[in-house]
Amino acid sequence: MKKALILILLLGIILFSTLSAFAAETITVWAMGAEAKKIGAMVEKFEKAYPGLKVKVQAIPWSSAHDKLITAIAGGTVPDVAQMGTTWMAEFGSIGVFEDVSNYLKNSKVIKEDDFFEGSLNTNIVDGKLYGIPWYVDTRVLFYRTDLLAEVGYDHPPRTWEELEDVARKLAADGGYGLALSTNNYQEFMPFVWQNGGRILDENGEVAVTEPAFVEALEFYVKLFKEGLAPIDAQGTNLFQEFAAGRMPMYFSGPWMVNLTHEQVPEIDGKWSVALMPEKKSRTSFIGGCNLVIFKDSKHKEAAWKFIEFMTEAQNQVEWFKISGCLPANKWAWEDTYFNNLEMMQVFGEQLKDAKAPINIPQWAQIESFIQRRVQEACYGEKTPKEAAEALARDIEGVL
Amino acid sequence: MKEKIFLIEKIIVHLVVLLGLIVMIAPFLWMLSTSFKSTKAIFRFPPDWIPNNPTLINYTKLFQTLDFLTPFKNTIIVAFSITTLSLLICSMAGYAFAKFQFPGRDKLFLGLLGTLMIPGQITMIPVFLLLKKLGLLNSYLGLILPGLASAFSIFFMRQFIRTIPDELLEAARIDGASELYIFFKIILPLCKPALATLGIFNFTGSWNSFLWPLIIATDEKMYTLPVAIANLGGQYQTEYGLQMAGAVIVVLPVIIVFLMAQKYFIRGITLSGLKG
Amino acid sequence: MKKDIKVPLLFLAPALVLMLIFMILPIFVSFYLSLTDFNVFALVDWSKAKFIGLENYRKLLNDELFWKALKNTLYFVAIGVPCAIIFSLSFAILLNRPDIIGRNLFRVGFYLPHITTTVAIAVVWKWVLNPRYGILNWALSLFGITGPSWLGDPRWAMPAIIMLVVWKGLGYNIIIFLAGLQNIPEHLYEAAQIDGANRWQQLFHITIPLLRPTTFFVTVMTLIGYLQLFAEPYMLTDGGPLNSTLSIVLYMYRQGFKFFNLGYASAIAYVLFGIIFVATLIQMKFRDEEIQY
Repeated sequence: MKKALILILLLGIILFSTLSAFAAETITVWAMGAEAKKIGAMVEKFEKAYPGLKVKVQAIPWSSAHDKLITAIAGGTVPDVAQMGTTWMAEFGSIGVFEDVSNYLKNSKVIKEDDFFEGSLNTNIVDGKLYGIPWYVDTRVLFYRTDLLAEVGYDHPPRTWEELEDVARKLAADGGYGLALSTNNYQEFMPFVWQNGGRILDENGEVAVTEPAFVEALEFYVKLFKEGLAPIDAQGTNLFQEFAAGRMPMYFSGPWMVNLTHEQVPEIDGKWSVALMPEKKSRTSFIGGCNLVIFKDSKHKEAAWKFIEFMTEAQNQVEWFKISGCLPANKWAWEDTYFNNLEMMQVFGEQLKDAKAPINIPQWAQIESFIQRRVQEACYGEKTPKEAAEALARDIEGVL
Repeated sequence: MKEKIFLIEKIIVHLVVLLGLIVMIAPFLWMLSTSFKSTKAIFRFPPDWIPNNPTLINYTKLFQTLDFLTPFKNTIIVAFSITTLSLLICSMAGYAFAKFQFPGRDKLFLGLLGTLMIPGQITMIPVFLLLKKLGLLNSYLGLILPGLASAFSIFFMRQFIRTIPDELLEAARIDGASELYIFFKIILPLCKPALATLGIFNFTGSWNSFLWPLIIATDEKMYTLPVAIANLGGQYQTEYGLQMAGAVIVVLPVIIVFLMAQKYFIRGITLSGLKG
Repeated sequence: MKKDIKVPLLFLAPALVLMLIFMILPIFVSFYLSLTDFNVFALVDWSKAKFIGLENYRKLLNDELFWKALKNTLYFVAIGVPCAIIFSLSFAILLNRPDIIGRNLFRVGFYLPHITTTVAIAVVWKWVLNPRYGILNWALSLFGITGPSWLGDPRWAMPAIIMLVVWKGLGYNIIIFLAGLQNIPEHLYEAAQIDGANRWQQLFHITIPLLRPTTFFVTVMTLIGYLQLFAEPYMLTDGGPLNSTLSIVLYMYRQGFKFFNLGYASAIAYVLFGIIFVATLIQMKFRDEEIQY
């Protein structure tokens, strides 16, 4: 009798364990671009940590991601979790297709709200609801040629706007330029606005681009072109070649440029470095990157949340950086010893503490194109900075 | 004296035309030359027309890391399907207009020609929405269907089929041949030259088509060659060598087809000019 | 000739059905769309699109960027079409000379750009026009000219695009003109020579007047094609710098497939259609008067 019981128990255990393996809960994850190709290693780790859960990753090319999402939402065939560009959060968030995860985050034992960089967490907030958790971030810093700056008497990178202008002027004296700057890229322009305390909308949602803080920033930006410190037209030039030749010894860009510069122009290794943004009232930079969201229609919300927790906790963020080169959105990841000997990356980590994302509203794609257009008009001298700002205000009011 | 003036004139005319030819051909040679250069060799002034250390790196990169085979395959599938199906559908319609009388025929035909006036941009958005509703975005069907029936092709086939003597068809009908038999066994074989001309015309047209695939094929797996080329930009810098290699891949097949079937091309254009 | 409706209808059916679905109906749907505020939210749920009457058209009239696109397109047409006609006619007349050696080779060479993919050609030209490393400025430097930054300078970007488009279409027009030239009876020239008319007089009193129908055709086709300029600015400049190369179709594409303002984009398409229609009518009228005298 006892034997029989034990046997039945044993059989039961075997049966149960095999069944549960079959009945593993599967969550579907949409990942975009290069991340989709690299996420496999993290998924394996996740499945080891949670034997009852399986993850199916679908790779979506960036170019078709927007359309695929719209089609999926319209047809009700959304995944459980998706990677979402920070600038898309508002557009899809305001349609109401994401799950509000504020309660999940409150009750989480793995991650907390203040684990994440503020600018990055803010990209998840639409209409007062928290629609996602930051997965990775990217930000802009100053790239500069240490040797050439030393030649004009700067043993440190420019720390303020005044120093930036001064060093650019000295560098441009030899017939080249002081820095490379773009006339139609809001990611390069907006940091200047933020550093000066400017903004696009005020706290009441009114357009604020005609405020002195915004106009002054635009004036400074335009001056760099007007006085020949930055090339108004870099068409057809190759930034790496120009940087190596010293014709454009400074520029603002993101983390991917570190490796690319080593690859493209190894001859200047050790002659360049990165630094924090120059300061006016603050040193604010641009923050971008991707968040992870759960869809409202998901049938596996708990499992989906476990996946997001796993991907965003500090240690795994370090792992993810090693695999993909994507910067951790979790502050504590930067404390890891791994970053101790990555000097350049530490600068990015430091900069992330003071970095802003553009406003989170569905009309952002259009506002972005307005900003780029008006800033360019000011740079080319078609409009004064004040006129450009006024025109921009009219543009933005037209779509709000 | 007069002889001499004529000779000088002749030389000048030839020089002018030759200069024109150089201007027409130079970009192609420049494209070919650049496609065999490494990044380092590209940024040189004055430019080298003959690459110093020719390399295949751009081509291997194109096919190995960027999977250029997929768009290549897509373009061939789409261009061939459009060409053959369109020839069939349009010659059927052309035959109906040419050899049958039915009420409202001429009005219908005029209306058809009227659609030649409509710019493609007008229909683009509704068709995009329709295909979206049918779930045909990013599918071969979505790339093929909208371009099948073309007023120009129908007009072209009608003009040709009209020249086929009615007696041939009547004789066949008296022998008890079915309508389909007449169309497939008598009309189509006689139309070979016209079909070849129109086929080549449509094939190059769909091989080169850009705006439509750009809207319909947003998924890398469905890119056609022109869309793939347009997206070769390089994220942070222009990779000229890669782009030139891509351009060579797209342009070469068309040039080869053209050189082999020149007379059809020229005939096709000349005929299209007769509409005026 | 057979007088039976069933058989021809069966032969017509596939073409007519496809035409109806992809051509005729969309023309009306497009007009209806242009009267709605169909946008990205409506894309998810069609019922979200509201009927707003002529609001889109009113907005267009006040849309600075639309006027800029219109102006750019008209500038492109005003310079481009005459250039295309003059160049192709001149080369056709030269190539039509009986004493030309290797006419076929020239014909093929001139025609080559026309059959190649616009996108690929645009990519090549972007490299040709590169201010520092491109062959165009290198060729100019041989004559001691410092070439401009073609695509980076708002003044030169549109001329650069005109250059490319005229270059690309040259061969096609040449072949059509050559066909027209072949149709001019030889005896007219013989008679003129006997009357002592020189080459120029023959050109202006025989060739050009008799080529009128061909010239008319080429002009209409070129004009309609040029009004739909899209791929070249999309590839070369994306409408920049300073929106100096933004064409109507490029603006429509941006509104329609970048911001998904499909209602607004339909209105732009309809305005373009109106312009093409009017342009063709003017030319038709112009031509009728020509034929009368």
